[in-house]
Amino acid sequence: MKNRLKVLRAERDWSQQDLAARLEVSRQSVNAIETGRYDPSLPLAFRIADIFDMTIEEIFLREEEPRAD
Amino acid sequence: MRERVLSAASSDRPRGRSPYLWVVLYLVAMGIVGTLKLTDAINGPTGFILLALATGLLIPIARQRTAGCASKAMVDYNRRVLVSSFGYALGLGIAVTLWDNYELSRPVVFAISLLPTLPTFGVIWAMARYLAEEQDEYLRHRTIMAALIALGFVLALGIFWGFLEMFELVPHVWAWWVLPVWAIGLGFAQLWQKVRDA
Repeated sequence: MKNRLKVLRAERDWSQQDLAARLEVSRQSVNAIETGRYDPSLPLAFRIADIFDMTIEEIFLREEEPRAD
Repeated sequence: MRERVLSAASSDRPRGRSPYLWVVLYLVAMGIVGTLKLTDAINGPTGFILLALATGLLIPIARQRTAGCASKAMVDYNRRVLVSSFGYALGLGIAVTLWDNYELSRPVVFAISLLPTLPTFGVIWAMARYLAEEQDEYLRHRTIMAALIALGFVLALGIFWGFLEMFELVPHVWAWWVLPVWAIGLGFAQLWQKVRDA
């Protein structure tokens, strides 16, 4: 799943380690989520959203689905 | 902005020697001890003592917490596996030495077969505890995937070898090999994950 984590992190001048410490997860977790290799659970997604003071939808982008028509 | 992002990402790597270095050194030590034993350069008990000593190379991995490279659950897992590995080498050494040198009754043989077996149960228990105790969902997910890859490796190799053995193309292999083969599969899977995540 695409997300804006890297940009949001850079805007605050946080390293992956900084964000990982705030989320109480490993740096590898932040890296995997950021690069789209791993989709976080709903509780973790909410924690990420809380830290950036945004909604989940503002951070994680919906995949483009082919239109039925 | 882009430079700032790249700069942030590049400064994120944890410091400290890679645990894979110690694993490789441990495997090399095992290989050397195995070669010495196969060429009869050392006797059985000496080989098992050296094998037990070689597990000391895994101590730096069990002490990773000080370097900040691993979660608490992973540090506990490494410590438990280290203790189990030491117990395995020691138990195997005692069991083989007794088997080679004494005429043992069946109940005693049953008892000594437990000496290397119980520590391997410790390894399985350590993995189960790790999956239960790991608080980082991504690390837990990664370990589960590696364990499943290792399981697929064991099943595929075991089935293939079984039929090759049935048609007398390869020699018989004792069933306890499933754990070392699974561990090798786990190691390769984790190495692949490490390279992919780099």
